[in-house]
Amino acid sequence: MTALQPGDTFPSDVTFSYIPFDEAISNGTSCGRPVNYNTSKEFANKRVILVSVPGAFTPTCSARHLPGLLENLDRFKALGVQQITIIAYNDPYVMNAWRKNNEVQDDYVLFLTDPATAFAKQIGWTKGERTGRFAIVIDGNKVTYAAKEPGSEITVSSAEALLNFLEQI
Amino acid sequence: MAPLKAGDKFPKGVAFIWAPITSDDATVCGIPQDFEADKEFTGKKVVIVSVPGAFTPGCQANHLPPYLKNFDALKSKGVDIVVVIASNDAWVMNAWGKVNGANGKDSFYFLSDTKTKFSENYGWAAGMGDRNGRWAMVVEKDGTVSYAENEPSPGQVTVSGAEAVLAKL
Repeated sequence: MTALQPGDTFPSDVTFSYIPFDEAISNGTSCGRPVNYNTSKEFANKRVILVSVPGAFTPTCSARHLPGLLENLDRFKALGVQQITIIAYNDPYVMNAWRKNNEVQDDYVLFLTDPATAFAKQIGWTKGERTGRFAIVIDGNKVTYAAKEPGSEITVSSAEALLNFLEQI
Repeated sequence: MAPLKAGDKFPKGVAFIWAPITSDDATVCGIPQDFEADKEFTGKKVVIVSVPGAFTPGCQANHLPPYLKNFDALKSKGVDIVVVIASNDAWVMNAWGKVNGANGKDSFYFLSDTKTKFSENYGWAAGMGDRNGRWAMVVEKDGTVSYAENEPSPGQVTVSGAEAVLAKL
């Protein structure tokens, strides 16, 4: 359990789980089947943002953290971000429902389950049994930004903090 | 502990957690609070439906919608309240209720069974992590359990479905 720092290599073979976007089952009440998401494969040669939240549909995440990211997708794209991933300890069904509820209709922003909070535990950024609130920028498997919220406010993991960082590199 | 069966008295001290549903919008979050069976079930005929998870295929597609659809039929058979329980947290249960149009259905509750783990202690667990099993129970006004049936195969909805419960009533 080691916290990530800029310059670190992103841990290899982290496995998340998710239900890929499918227009046929995109309404809020139907379900899909979860598949694995291997970061070594999926993050390779990409600029990726990984944002972790303590829970889907929870007040701080839904009301303030996630909207900031979703409202700025064009700016993230302009700054070379090829993939945004939101992770939480909730299962893939809940994460998929949360995606639908936030009207995300493609795979640019993925809502991923951190099964058994394994990744958050590996880097020590948990909140009880839940994933902690943090943000990481990864450039081709190299960590360039990694910050965990010190309190319950949204500061270093916010869309603004990430955009500020990306504008400076 | 053995699961409750018809003829048993409903135990004291059972509590769930819920975030009251106050709008249709699942991005608006509620504040979780206790739901004490000692208080809420007293003098009421209650149907308890346990599912392995919010937003999961079996629950969503086959199990929950018939209960919502037949809510009036259940009420006409003397049912005062229906509670759907799962191991998800109160925010997820709240969101699940909203996307299923439960807002405005005052006696249909979506509750998190993470407080006193009723399913594990008095019903049936799923045998998959800490998930609830798929089962249904009817508790009479005097607190006597009159129906308690667990699905022999958790992927199927038979004895725990709205139709089976209606037939029993």
